[in-house]
Amino acid sequence: MNPVQRKLSAVVAGVVLLLLAAVPVLAHHAFASEFDAKKPVKFKGTVTKMEWINPHAWIHVSVKKPDGTIEEWMVEAGTPNTLLRRGLTKDSLKAGTEIVVDGYQSKDGSLRANGRDLTLPNGQTLFLGGNSPGAPGEDKSKK
Amino acid sequence: MSHRFSSLMGILALAIAVVSLTAIAGQAPTTPAKKAPAVTKAPAPAKAPGAAKASARKWAAPKTPWGDPDLQGVWNDATSTPLQRPSELGGKDTLTDEEAAGFEEQLAFNLTRDRRDGGADADVNRAYNDHWMDARRLKITEDKRTSLIVDPADGRIPPQVPLSPERQKARAERAAANTRFNAGLPERVEDLSLPVRCIIRTDSPPYLPTIYNNDFHIFQSPGYVVIVPEMIHSARVIPLDGRPHLSKGLRQWLGDTRGHFEGNTLVIETTNFRGDDGVTFQGTNPSTFTITERFTRVDPGSINYEFTVADPTTWTKPWTAIVPWNKIDPDEQMYEYACHEDNYDLVHLMSGARTREKKGETK
Repeated sequence: MNPVQRKLSAVVAGVVLLLLAAVPVLAHHAFASEFDAKKPVKFKGTVTKMEWINPHAWIHVSVKKPDGTIEEWMVEAGTPNTLLRRGLTKDSLKAGTEIVVDGYQSKDGSLRANGRDLTLPNGQTLFLGGNSPGAPGEDKSKK
Repeated sequence: MSHRFSSLMGILALAIAVVSLTAIAGQAPTTPAKKAPAVTKAPAPAKAPGAAKASARKWAAPKTPWGDPDLQGVWNDATSTPLQRPSELGGKDTLTDEEAAGFEEQLAFNLTRDRRDGGADADVNRAYNDHWMDARRLKITEDKRTSLIVDPADGRIPPQVPLSPERQKARAERAAANTRFNAGLPERVEDLSLPVRCIIRTDSPPYLPTIYNNDFHIFQSPGYVVIVPEMIHSARVIPLDGRPHLSKGLRQWLGDTRGHFEGNTLVIETTNFRGDDGVTFQGTNPSTFTITERFTRVDPGSINYEFTVADPTTWTKPWTAIVPWNKIDPDEQMYEYACHEDNYDLVHLMSGARTREKKGETK
């Protein structure tokens, strides 16, 4: 069941499918080449800095463990312009901001993660959808 | 300290993606397309997107202080309109409003991270790739064309001419190098493509949209136009003073470009491409391949980018595509692309291949 697709006439749907088939497959890096889908991570931490590097932006997060020790994590994000188009600005993740990271750890076990979702203390979720007309969360991701 | 963590396999995957994009975009028919209408002239200007609305608004294209048409700014060419029209669509060159809306919705649905079907691997891959997606990439051109190609009228790359034995051999060698690379067993660093080696990517003309980083910064000074693509790091400096092209012996990754203005249109012609690595646009012959590109501001927010590529030793006739370039939002800026920063992947890839060989892995 496709919850997004409107009901299209058979003729329209046929044209749409043909044109979709002509659009090149969109892929960047294979997730599995760097991150491990079997290592989901979720942690709360404090942003120490954000690197606006093209094409790999990185969010540095300081995480306090239950035993009081500190882990320094790096969370990968998309390209600066992709982030900007989603409403993320240099003011969104200032040092000291508390965030919850929901993602997957790198395969080599280092303290790096792909951030599927980042949640701010006020509940605002960053990176949520927003890439498609009508996708859930599109407007919520804008600041 | 800044670190980059583009892993060995990440770069491999990127290369595959880039190669596959190129391959898909570059699949020219080897036999004449059925019902391809004969086209004897370049598309009429009225075909250009934005041309009609420009005249309707009676908008005057701006000039630089020294009187040239002013093309300056940062522009973005992202679109999901495919280069070639699916053959099955025949002469249908534009979509209806309903078809266009359906296409955009379905494409967005296919790619969105908010889909959760297909199992964990598909889910995380979609979510991961969604990070990189330029949302503008999901939009079809404003004029709802079914192909970026506007000439020939069937929207498809013209049939190829038979290749010489030498070029067939060169293509086979390039394909073998790609196979070795994709297997993780490159024999020499040249087995890695130009994009993987951070030499050229989508900055090589003609410009076509890709998954992300679709910005182009144009700036001008008296006698010159400079185009700086977001990906990866070249500045294409175009002299306008009518000087001749470089001698045929001097060949460059981005070719040799000369320009002039025709009315409000910047017309640039490029030749002298390198081909010694076997990589040229659509597998063309660098000795005979030429590009003519036309840039016309059609309203305050957009440029009409039209290119015609010709190579009589590759295609039976030249072909032309039109890609709209839209001005980026005021709060955006173009970021330098850090392709090589801390990038040791070439060394890793080569040493990894030697390690695999020692373990007895074969191609």
